[in-house]
Amino acid sequence: MKIIRNLGLAAGLLLAAAPARSQQQARPEPRAVAGKATLSGYLRDAATGEPLVGASVFVKALGIGVNTDEKGFYALDLPTGPHTVTFQIIGYEPVNQPLNLTGDLTRSIRLSAARVQTQEVVVAGRRAEDNVKKTEMSVNRLDMKTVKLMPALLGEVDVVRSIQLLPGVTTVGEGASGFNVRGGGVDQNLILMDEIPVYNVSHLFGFFSAFNPDAVQDMTLYKGGIPARYGGRLSSLLDVKMRDGHQAERLAINGGIGLISSRLAVEAPLIKDRTSVALSARRSYGDLALKLIPEQRKNQAYFYDLNLKLSHRLSARDQLTVTGYRGRDVFNFADVFKNDWGNTGASARWTHQFSPRLFATFSGVIGQYDYGLGVPKGTQAFEWTSRLRNYTGKADFSYQLNAANTLSAGVSGTRYRFEPATVKPLNAESIFVSLKVDDQQAGEYAAYLDNEQTLSPRLQVQYGLRLSVFDFLGSGTAISDYVGAAGQRKDPANTRTAKNGSVVKRYANLEPRASLRYTLSETSSLKASYNRTTQYIHLISNTTAASPLDVWTPSTNNIRPERGDQVAVGYFRNFRGGVYEASAEVFGKTMSNQIDYVNGANTLLNKNLEGELLYGDGRAYGAEFFVKRSQGKLTGWVSYTLSRSERQIRGINADRWYPNKYDKTHNLSVVGMYQLSPRLTVSSNFAYGTGVATTFPNARFVYDGLVVPVVGGDARNNYRVPAYHRLDLGATLKNRPRPDSRWQSEWVFSVYNVYNRRNPYGIYFRQNEDNPRQTEAVRLSVFGSVIPSVSYNFNF
Amino acid sequence: MKRFSFFFALLMAGLLTSCTDVVDVDLPEPEPQLAVEGNITDQPGPYTIRLTRTGAYFTKDELPAVRGAQLTLADNEGTTETLRETAPGVYQTSQIRGKIGNHYTLTIQDGDQQYRALTEIKRTPGIDRLEQQIKTNEPGWDDGYYALYNGPELPGVGDYYRFKIWLNGELQNDPDDLVVRDDALVDGNYIGDIELNGKPLQVGDSVRVQLLSLPRDYYYFLNEMYTQINNVGLFSSPPANVRTNVLNLSATGPKAVGYFAGTAVRSARLTIQP
Repeated sequence: MKIIRNLGLAAGLLLAAAPARSQQQARPEPRAVAGKATLSGYLRDAATGEPLVGASVFVKALGIGVNTDEKGFYALDLPTGPHTVTFQIIGYEPVNQPLNLTGDLTRSIRLSAARVQTQEVVVAGRRAEDNVKKTEMSVNRLDMKTVKLMPALLGEVDVVRSIQLLPGVTTVGEGASGFNVRGGGVDQNLILMDEIPVYNVSHLFGFFSAFNPDAVQDMTLYKGGIPARYGGRLSSLLDVKMRDGHQAERLAINGGIGLISSRLAVEAPLIKDRTSVALSARRSYGDLALKLIPEQRKNQAYFYDLNLKLSHRLSARDQLTVTGYRGRDVFNFADVFKNDWGNTGASARWTHQFSPRLFATFSGVIGQYDYGLGVPKGTQAFEWTSRLRNYTGKADFSYQLNAANTLSAGVSGTRYRFEPATVKPLNAESIFVSLKVDDQQAGEYAAYLDNEQTLSPRLQVQYGLRLSVFDFLGSGTAISDYVGAAGQRKDPANTRTAKNGSVVKRYANLEPRASLRYTLSETSSLKASYNRTTQYIHLISNTTAASPLDVWTPSTNNIRPERGDQVAVGYFRNFRGGVYEASAEVFGKTMSNQIDYVNGANTLLNKNLEGELLYGDGRAYGAEFFVKRSQGKLTGWVSYTLSRSERQIRGINADRWYPNKYDKTHNLSVVGMYQLSPRLTVSSNFAYGTGVATTFPNARFVYDGLVVPVVGGDARNNYRVPAYHRLDLGATLKNRPRPDSRWQSEWVFSVYNVYNRRNPYGIYFRQNEDNPRQTEAVRLSVFGSVIPSVSYNFNF
Repeated sequence: MKRFSFFFALLMAGLLTSCTDVVDVDLPEPEPQLAVEGNITDQPGPYTIRLTRTGAYFTKDELPAVRGAQLTLADNEGTTETLRETAPGVYQTSQIRGKIGNHYTLTIQDGDQQYRALTEIKRTPGIDRLEQQIKTNEPGWDDGYYALYNGPELPGVGDYYRFKIWLNGELQNDPDDLVVRDDALVDGNYIGDIELNGKPLQVGDSVRVQLLSLPRDYYYFLNEMYTQINNVGLFSSPPANVRTNVLNLSATGPKAVGYFAGTAVRSARLTIQP
């Protein structure tokens, strides 16, 4: 992912094939062989210091080889004696190094980028054959270089919007926060930014993503086969890696100016080869336009992000990384109304190499989501705040037992504090009283063991077990049970005080995870996976799109953990030497303890929130087809998903199954980027999806002169809005580089919704404003026109 | 909140181009249901209950009146009376008198179906007065006259209110004029200087406000109704039927819609002076 290198296609194919062969020939070494030693070290980019992932290290004469891991590390068992070791990865000049092995030896290598031979582009980073050779399935990776080439809404390069173009991913509509994976809710995705949980992925309600594109290196979406290391959410893991200074050779600055926001990022070595820093900032300036309108001068509306990453090499075996993040949306309506929200977090990670075979990472993480709103002056002055915070500690170990087995194990503990709502009057004349929805505390603990095992050259398996425990803890406040008929609003009963820190309710779950790969040929394989996931914290949201005011709640004595089981089977095939990577997967999953809401539920500022919740089951199944081309002038992918996502909740739709609002039968995306010349790349996205499910009334009555709709049979999601489709075009034009200057710049043009389709977000029923007796159906389109944009990026 | 919506609309318009337009939708013919609309208050009667049948959502016709139904209204003091149909589908009381604290049972015999609705009249704090105020150069407000509400709220959480406003004799009755509130956030406080109008008034304009105390379930009904008739946009709620307190005595019989509610009513008025 890290590299776009110019390279001859023939050379590329040749190089791509080599590591495949070497991996094939790797055999478990008999442990008894005398005179064995381990050669280990790191492979890095000579210019940037960036680790080279998936590079191959092999001794041709012996037919033994390994690949570097995600840190660029390798460890290779060899007989003692003289060898010629080859280090290579696509896009780089290979290195052949003769050495004499007398004992364990560390040898770190820097590879130089291959010379430019033609204008072909290879987007590598992950080797094409991984698609076929790796055990993992249901995983999609995107690197920011690809995302930045895709046409962007209003020029804002958007991680979340690009994820929505991947197979198995849907959304309830444009401008809706988050994304839905294989029929799961937006709160069922574990989103980690360098291990920091991101509770709300959006700015401006959902129109832009919380990830500053300059700060992101790449992201990986796990839709199934989630490694035992991760847990806590039902549907997916989105692992977002932040850019670090990469032991940069020199100070590098890049930035951009767009219609919505401006960005500036700095990457620099602080101590050469030891310490580096990456700092990036983004701020929108919609409110600067407001200042041009006299009546709006006192109003403010903007968002910003700050990302900081420090990397420090303590020793040859120790690496320390610190990441910090703060993102915020701010709306101030003069002195009349204020609202702000955002994520804040920090993580510190220490990676230690105990031996060439044993690694450990120790992490400490703080994550927070909070918001505030209020009226600062007058008799309605109040302030309302809400906050969720977690403190997490983790230890993860990776141990290469032998050539056939790689073990991972670890433990983690998280302490949560939920402060759902605190309302305070701000002056003596205020009509408001203080109101507090009681704070809640919880602990979530997990331990896991996982092994990746090569059973034969054809068969590789990964199997693991995760034990998760959740404690709903007392906070010295009252707790209640909620009793009443299933499917209806429930009342509190048996109210008692729970001592601070005492365990009110404990849940424990075993989560088995397994996947296997069976190689059919050099270019094709079959894969299967099963995983169980458990989710202990839940986003309480009863609106079409999640709102920034929605609060998370822990599992309690009333709310039980959500549990999911997923099975997936897939066929993976590469064509034309890895130029095309293709996959077809089918999945099926069941989900229990899914949360829904009584009609008219009040989910905010409600002390008896648990009485408003309904519970039931979910199920989702589907087939995903994906073809990706990542080499050559033309890159991109085609993705098609046929799927269904339903739930059955006591008290909704007459207790029958109904489609989720994000259920989309057909979902097609075509993403293409074409390099026309060394300076000009054009791109396009096309997306097609079945309209979202919605509820239509069929009757009405009149109450107090107002027309009230009636839904026949208490149905839910009994209709579909018309299909969604959209075409976007983009172009990136690099300015001619000047030989005497390091300054590089580019113009990015994009046109969103090229053929001006008014895609319906929803269809609503209401009285005509002028003639209240007349009723009408109204289509809301979030984007009702073609949206062109231009932005300017630079780096030096 | 009406005033903020302008701000947000502008914000969105600046960034985006969202739009709404009217579309044709085919809906199946509904099964007609009994629809009930009626109140008993603590003010002198007669009290009116209107019965209709639900109609197709897009119908342009008046909903059909339900004629010839048998309605009886009883209170917990032992008074029972049969209502008289004074116009097609309009049924009125003649002697029963609503009182704060009393409970009421309405029984409707509609053909072979029998329905029952229970309600009560809850306490009310009353209104002290309306006052007028001139605003000039106040952020978020247009310059001009505003009518301000002043009145107490009763100590103890669990009071629910509806506010109805008439400007120059005309009831403000757009879907978003349906204002219901609970007292969880204002319990026992003096409700002072709350603007009743969003657009400024002129000298000579009259403002009348009615404060209705609501039983909790009726508050839920009106709140759900508010949600359903203002349910457009990114953060709309799932469309769903609003509750009713008119229950068919036969669990398998057709369901009714609407509400029969008890309310205590207080009102105040103001004419803007120069």
